[in-house]
Amino acid sequence: MATTTATITLASADIADNALSISNTMTMTTAGTTTGLAETTGLARIKMESTTLTDLITVANVSGFTAAKSAKVYIKNTGTATDKYAIIGIGDSSGTPTTIGRLYGGDWMLFPWDGNSGEDVTIDMSDATATIIEYMVFFE
Amino acid sequence: MATTTATITLSSADLLSDNLSLSATQTLHKAGTTTGLDGIQYERLEVPAGDVYDIVDATTAGANKANKVYIANKHTDETKYIDVYVAALNIGRLYAGDWMFIPLEAAAATQDIGVEAISAAQVVEFALVHEGKTLVAS
Repeated sequence: MATTTATITLASADIADNALSISNTMTMTTAGTTTGLAETTGLARIKMESTTLTDLITVANVSGFTAAKSAKVYIKNTGTATDKYAIIGIGDSSGTPTTIGRLYGGDWMLFPWDGNSGEDVTIDMSDATATIIEYMVFFE
Repeated sequence: MATTTATITLSSADLLSDNLSLSATQTLHKAGTTTGLDGIQYERLEVPAGDVYDIVDATTAGANKANKVYIANKHTDETKYIDVYVAALNIGRLYAGDWMFIPLEAAAATQDIGVEAISAAQVVEFALVHEGKTLVAS
């Protein structure tokens, strides 16, 4: 059993009259237990240089993945251009994925992933400029 | 213009054969700019079991923007979870103590974020940091 933690700090001194300061740490555990998630894809880096909708993470390619558990996905757009973005979705790139949102240069996201059949993580770049996307899956 | 940052730290001493120590910080900007997001909605509520409830509404003013959403399941029983929906798709489970942070495209009015508490009511906290929200006239 591994112990993996993810901490978020969301902070602003001026978005409201009072400062915003949200801090939260989760320990990534297998579904319904206190046992730590023990499997990961590791941190992957891929160069995107096309505006073609494609699968970033394919369920079938995550060896040993069990769907509908407590998997987590981390994705970061390592680009620096704040006017270029990656649209992240869930579905199949040959169909019409459900769009989650845009990762602009420097943005990251962390979300739970059921990863049922046909629920790959898709990516669609706004621009063909070569951009490195990092991602990591924690799963059981 | 506000300055809001979101930092993630991923750590483990034993998931891999070497330490995992990853940290990333983003400044929350309006779409395609370096101007900070300046709208926020921050709530804590108890979600009853038995149905999907929208906690973030996709509105025209926020469509195709750089909105960010934080959701945390504040329940303490590790066997309980909420299903998180974007539009009609159940994207995954947040077990007790879990959190998530995503951008929200909100391209269509149907692209709300919903949650369903499974097997028991659960307390959820969420924050929407946005650059626009269409208000509903009373």
